[in-house]
Amino acid sequence: MMNSMTLTKSQKIGGILLLILLSFAISGDLFSSYSISQQDLNAILEPPNGEHWLGTDHFGRSMLARMAHAIGVSFVLGLFCVITAATIGTFLGVWAAWGSKRLDNIMGILVNILLALPGLVIVLLLAAIVPGSFLMLYFAISLVQWVEYFRVVRAITQTVIQSPALQSSQIMGFGRWYQFKRHIWPSIAPAVFTLAAFGCANAILTMASLGFIYVGIQPPLAELGLMTVELFPFYSEAPWLLVQPLLVMALMVLGFHLLAGKQK
Amino acid sequence: MKDILLKRLLQLLAVVWGVGTLTFILMRALPGDMAYRIAASRYGHDNVDAQAATLVREELGLDANPFLLYINWLFDLLQFKLGDSLVSGTPVIDSVQHMLGYSVLLAVTGLFISILIAIPLGLLSAWKGNPIDNAVMAFSSVVRAMPVFVIGVIFLMLFALHWNWFPVAGFGTPAHLVLPALTLALSLAAVSNRVVKSSAQRVFKSSFYTFAQVKGLSKWRTFHRHGIRNIALPVVAFFGIQLISMIEGIVMIESLFSWPGIGHGLAHAIFARDIPVIQGAALIMGVLFVLLNTLIDLLCYWIDPRAGDVKGERA
Amino acid sequence: MTELLKLTEVSVYAGDVCLLEPISLTLAQGRPITILGQTGAGKSLLAQAVMGLLPDSLRVEGDIQIFGRAMTLAERQKLWGTELVMLPQEPWNALDPLMKASSQISDVYRYVHNKDRSEASTLAQKDLEYVGLADSGNKRPDELSGGMAQRLAIASVTAAGAPLILADEPTKGLDSTRRQDIVNLLQERSAQGSLLTITHDVAIARQLGGDILVIKSGRLIEQGEAEKVLNQPQHPYTQALINAELPPQSKTETSESDKDVLIDIRDLMIERGGKNLFPPVSFSVKQGEITWLIGESGRGKSSLGDALLGLVPTKSGTVTRVVPATQQATPQNSQSYRWLKLYQDPPSAFTDSVSLQVLLNDLVTLHNIDPSRIPPLMTKLGLKEALLTRNCNNVSGGELQRFAILRALLLNPVFLFADEPTSRLDPITAQEVMALLRYVAKETNCAILLVSHDVNVVGGNYDQVVVL
Repeated sequence: MMNSMTLTKSQKIGGILLLILLSFAISGDLFSSYSISQQDLNAILEPPNGEHWLGTDHFGRSMLARMAHAIGVSFVLGLFCVITAATIGTFLGVWAAWGSKRLDNIMGILVNILLALPGLVIVLLLAAIVPGSFLMLYFAISLVQWVEYFRVVRAITQTVIQSPALQSSQIMGFGRWYQFKRHIWPSIAPAVFTLAAFGCANAILTMASLGFIYVGIQPPLAELGLMTVELFPFYSEAPWLLVQPLLVMALMVLGFHLLAGKQK
Repeated sequence: MKDILLKRLLQLLAVVWGVGTLTFILMRALPGDMAYRIAASRYGHDNVDAQAATLVREELGLDANPFLLYINWLFDLLQFKLGDSLVSGTPVIDSVQHMLGYSVLLAVTGLFISILIAIPLGLLSAWKGNPIDNAVMAFSSVVRAMPVFVIGVIFLMLFALHWNWFPVAGFGTPAHLVLPALTLALSLAAVSNRVVKSSAQRVFKSSFYTFAQVKGLSKWRTFHRHGIRNIALPVVAFFGIQLISMIEGIVMIESLFSWPGIGHGLAHAIFARDIPVIQGAALIMGVLFVLLNTLIDLLCYWIDPRAGDVKGERA
Repeated sequence: MTELLKLTEVSVYAGDVCLLEPISLTLAQGRPITILGQTGAGKSLLAQAVMGLLPDSLRVEGDIQIFGRAMTLAERQKLWGTELVMLPQEPWNALDPLMKASSQISDVYRYVHNKDRSEASTLAQKDLEYVGLADSGNKRPDELSGGMAQRLAIASVTAAGAPLILADEPTKGLDSTRRQDIVNLLQERSAQGSLLTITHDVAIARQLGGDILVIKSGRLIEQGEAEKVLNQPQHPYTQALINAELPPQSKTETSESDKDVLIDIRDLMIERGGKNLFPPVSFSVKQGEITWLIGESGRGKSSLGDALLGLVPTKSGTVTRVVPATQQATPQNSQSYRWLKLYQDPPSAFTDSVSLQVLLNDLVTLHNIDPSRIPPLMTKLGLKEALLTRNCNNVSGGELQRFAILRALLLNPVFLFADEPTSRLDPITAQEVMALLRYVAKETNCAILLVSHDVNVVGGNYDQVVVL
């Protein structure tokens, strides 16, 4: 596993990019003297200055605080979704391929049903049930995403369990946990990692998409998609404001794509 | 073949059930008095009173046993009885049909342009190799990193607001279609050109491709007789995968450009809590999604009738 | 006699490494030439060099003259089909997987000879009939057997009528009855021109006649008239090749020794995909002996071995594991981990996720093996301590196979199924591994079931032969 986990140059660049964004989010949250909802109608649409490093929005709120918060929310959601979806998907994928035939069949039908609707539509409908709920977004996105891990892990596991290597371990008396640890996990880990990086980017994008059409996180909270629509009307007066969420979104996605490494 | 159709039929039922159940929960779960909200959205906040709410409650049968209501709800859906919009009062089926036309127009145009971009670029990358390949791939990586609505916003700022070449939003003239379709096309092409490239590389390198030339066919003939079909196979299959991005893209793009399609309708209905419209729009999207997937299955089968995958034999 | 192809000191290099040492030959009309040698000896490169199909990373030196003149790559490619063709090694890969058989031939008539559609398909149908595929015109390559695919490939590649035919291992992967058909077809198709065949199969060289060049490790070691070379081989390598052709003499040599029977097999049948792999077999495997299982590829030798290990279900018949009387004191005998298998492709039989040392430790922990047994065994097997720090992708196939034997020995094996254990190894390493197996059988009284097609390597190292 060690050699499959050494990062390529572009993966390192992606990782560094994400670390920079993450540390910006953390330090912005910790050190900014403004809250995300603190308005100052005397100082609206200000360009970056000594007081407000990233300027202020149309309510005179500090963009620094809001951007830091929005990035933080994106990261938290992305990570939560990935951890949940990857754990469930991987577990079920291995189990379906390696365990009972019956479970495999049931899972096949379940996956088929979930794939009947485009992911975004499922998320939209679920998000509509509890508007503006972070938890619901997390649940909906994880629900949509685990399927991908399941399918990939199941396919890889199926080839591994037929491999001479695993058969050889089996003949020599090694138990199931050993076979998983030495054979199955090393084979699926790189794929799970790649999927996780893409999954993180997708979760962030999905949340931003919902925010962008006003059905995600609700104002006055700060979220990248929401900020984009809020700031869009002021694009000619204060283009530097609109650029911020757009740029950050692209950088985050690019970071995760780079981190994912080789595409399949 | 039968399996594929059976699987898709199951999915069709799943769409009806899933959409029906979710919208049913949605209706029950909304905060506040359902009837009051509906009445308010119909008659305006100033004109609503308890009497109007009671009327609505009776009209919609909101007090019945929830389970019975649920069964009725699904049953109506199976018959495509979609009801009337809570906001406008017009039959949902009409507005959905209307929206569907616009969405299909956008989707077909976008897909067509994306094919026009992706196939030549992908073939060029595979044929010429580096440095063209690297340049194309770098460009598509950048585009892929941008969510589709970011591409849309950039287009909007540049071509509509800055240069005034195209209208900002709305519909009616062909010019209104240009930016939404281009946004969709670009986001799709940035992914599919890679698939075209790798498929073409695989075919160009394959021994049957060389062998066809050894048989005496010219380069062009070889491409014509053996290239196109073999390259197309994974590309067409990929369009099936890309359907998801396409539908998701349409939701975003329509909202951004106020294009009166299903995606815009759905987002708008969710915002306005117009449940029958939510249901109708989601249902149509799901059904369309499954039907298009079936179409792609059939297309793949037509290109490559090999039944199932050839299992490797062990000596 | 017209000179079709003349090679003068043609050699192939990858950078500074010489893959094929200089070869000169003259191919004249009506007199075929066969290049004979083991696989991987660089001889395939020669046909590719003549065609102009070598990968860019390889470089050709020397002089290639076709129809009496030297040609550039582009000029040679213009000759493809009508003047010069090469048969593919792997017919399945060389045929368009999505195109039906008749079109793969009729295309040549349509687009090379510019016939109209109906005439082209009539001609194609004639060709199909000629190669015995009259009813298969509408089938795709995946619906054809290996032999049918090869005949289709030959028909389609010769449709344009090239007089100069290069055939690179034309019978690879085909069983012996099919080989005859292919050779006949090649002879007929090259009757108007000439044929340069590259093969490792002495039988083919014999049938084709003409001249023979014997190549070993990219170097020409013997050449002359087919009859002379095959009947009075001068070089030891040629002699070895010819000897290897001879099948083991007896049908089934049952061992008459007084060794104890370990497995008794009665009327065993195995099926795959609804078909019986072989007629019922009966034999017994004895302790301390090597049982050599032979048979054509695809006959289910591996499946039989796996069935003895309980990895593959049997269809009918019985497999009885006899607990040896002499060892009844140790109940561990029946433990399944002492019934082991050696695999054909060593790297695929190990996980590359950890080093060999870790794998060894895993085994020691699992079965409470005394670690002090390891160093002497490693010395005996010729394994160096330093090897253990690497993972399976970073040691050679031979080392890995010996490591596999080490693991097996640590478990005190009762039965070892060695499935083509030497086929991916070079001849010298293969001999060493074979000698080790002999040693294992002798020293540990372990019964070995050996599957190997390599007559030279097995040599006399067996006690009984079972033919499937």
